[in-house]
Amino acid sequence: MSEAIVLEVRHITRRFGGLYAVDNVSFAVQRGEIFGLIGPNGAGKTTLFNVITGMTPPTHGELFYEGINITNKRPHEIAMLGVARTFQNIRLFGTLTALENVMIARHIHTKSGVLEGVLGLPPAPQEERAVRQRAMELLELVGLAEAAEMQARNFSYGDQRRLEIARALALEPKLLLLDEPAAGMNQNEKSALSAFIRSIREQFNLTIVLIEHYVPLVMGLCDRIAVLNFGQLIALGAPEAVQNDPAVIEAYLGE
Amino acid sequence: MEGFFSTYGAAIVQMALAGVLALSLYLPLMAGQLSLASPGFYAVGGYVAALLSTQVFTGYPNGSYPIPLIALEMIVAGVISAIFAILIGIPSLRLRGIYLALATIAFVEILRVFALNQPWLGGAVGIYNIPQPFFSATRVEYLLLALPLLLGATLFVARLERSRIGRAFIALREDELAASAMGIRPTYYKVLAFTIGAILAGMAGALNAHILNTWNARQGTFDLAILILAYVLVGGSRTFLGPVIGGAFLVALPEIILREVAGTPGLNPVIATFLRDGRLILFGVLIAVSVFFFPYGLITPNLFKRRKKSAEPSVETATAAPKVSRGEL
Ligand SMILES: Nc1ncnc2c1ncn2[C@@H]1O[C@H](COP(=O)(O)OP(=O)(O)OP(=O)(O)O)[C@@H](O)[C@H]1O
Ligand SMILES: [Mg+2]
Repeated sequence: MSEAIVLEVRHITRRFGGLYAVDNVSFAVQRGEIFGLIGPNGAGKTTLFNVITGMTPPTHGELFYEGINITNKRPHEIAMLGVARTFQNIRLFGTLTALENVMIARHIHTKSGVLEGVLGLPPAPQEERAVRQRAMELLELVGLAEAAEMQARNFSYGDQRRLEIARALALEPKLLLLDEPAAGMNQNEKSALSAFIRSIREQFNLTIVLIEHYVPLVMGLCDRIAVLNFGQLIALGAPEAVQNDPAVIEAYLGE
Repeated sequence: MEGFFSTYGAAIVQMALAGVLALSLYLPLMAGQLSLASPGFYAVGGYVAALLSTQVFTGYPNGSYPIPLIALEMIVAGVISAIFAILIGIPSLRLRGIYLALATIAFVEILRVFALNQPWLGGAVGIYNIPQPFFSATRVEYLLLALPLLLGATLFVARLERSRIGRAFIALREDELAASAMGIRPTYYKVLAFTIGAILAGMAGALNAHILNTWNARQGTFDLAILILAYVLVGGSRTFLGPVIGGAFLVALPEIILREVAGTPGLNPVIATFLRDGRLILFGVLIAVSVFFFPYGLITPNLFKRRKKSAEPSVETATAAPKVSRGEL
């Protein structure tokens, strides 16, 4: 496998009863690119994310991340390898503060056990300080530092999405999967988000796969785009090429 | 003061033990797991202490059984409970919600029937004449052991809650899938929380075997599971203080408060009789009411945060502030 490929999806199928939510989909995501995943409602985009992150086992097919077969790995194992995600239906730890939400995501980068934590033995105190500081930095990065002590569920929709991104970044992932990060944001927020996604790619050397409905955002931001329709991959390529693909136009107009 | 302790000493000891048992149920709940297994580990702990003190550490005249030996029994009880917890926890913590609760009830019931039929555990009679460390009718001296146990358990859980491991537990409780996406291994941390809880229950059982002087299959049954659950649900299931205060309060309520009120001179005899005899009804009503009106119990983390909150900007301004910097995103 080439060094340039971060994620390879090979003939992935996921059936729910008789429904092919994802139907024999294959593609490879290159290192450092922003890869768009679009398609009409119910096309199977979120299901594909769930399969990649180990939350929904595929019916057929294989997944490779950094050359490692992750097809049968559990979600926490995949997270530990460096894959982080956000959720379309926001899944923050609602009753916890923003800061705690991000601190929790430092789990794999710390190692204090029960006794170290309870008795305050090394490395717990140092780790605690470092985790808190790192979490604050990430909150600052997404513009939520002032609200660090606020309960996550009290945040506005857009702020919750930003907090989910901060939490995902706390994992120090190499591959970041964003499921409709702009949903619920206004026009200004959407273009700011676009610039933000580009900037975190540079800052953290990320490869990003992005599900998005809002076409201008996808077209302006993504290096390549894959289009799903009824679970099948109907187009894959540069934004302009995909935009003019008759099958894509058909899928969107046919809705 | 002396009169107070001679009347209520035993009740205060039981309040402390109730707090420890409540913490033992609170721990798996912290990781989102409703386990009713605490009485099982409590029973195991009691048998460990009963066997060790009557068959291994023999030769001490009654009334002078060494306290360090009781401490040692408590540690052994904790270790054995932990082993049980790991063996039971790994398969059963894959079950969710009510199925886990049912599996843990089954565990408690199996242990009870097992103990009932084992001659080496004394069968139905159980193990009696468990040696006492004190010459005392009131047993108030047991506070010397019960209070440190409660204090130690409380501090342990309080500190744990604010540590990396405690945060992993809480993340699982809040959203298991999101927690696993953050690299938290669900089964491992559920079993860990369950095991720490089992250790506390086992230690409480070991101590109570001495306090009660006898141990049998009627200790640590399903009834106790419901009581412990009430301690946590009434006291509070979102901070370590909830179970501790809930346990103390619900043991004190029938034992001390109602008895005291019922004894008030000049009280209408009908009310006095009801307070004395109908106290379990009041107890049940209290559980139902508090669970209905306070889903997270009487003691919630917000009780301690509210004051701080009012000094902070309101929800609206707090979210508005970062919006200013949004252009820089
Ligand atoms: N757990 C499940 N059980 C049964 N069917 C499911 C399940 N999850 C998804 N589906 C179905 O699979 C199909 C694909 O759903 P998915 O959520 O992946 O679509 P999507 O492309 O993300 O859509 P949207 O743009 O609306 O988010 C839908 O028909 C959906 O109803
Ligand atoms: Mg979706």
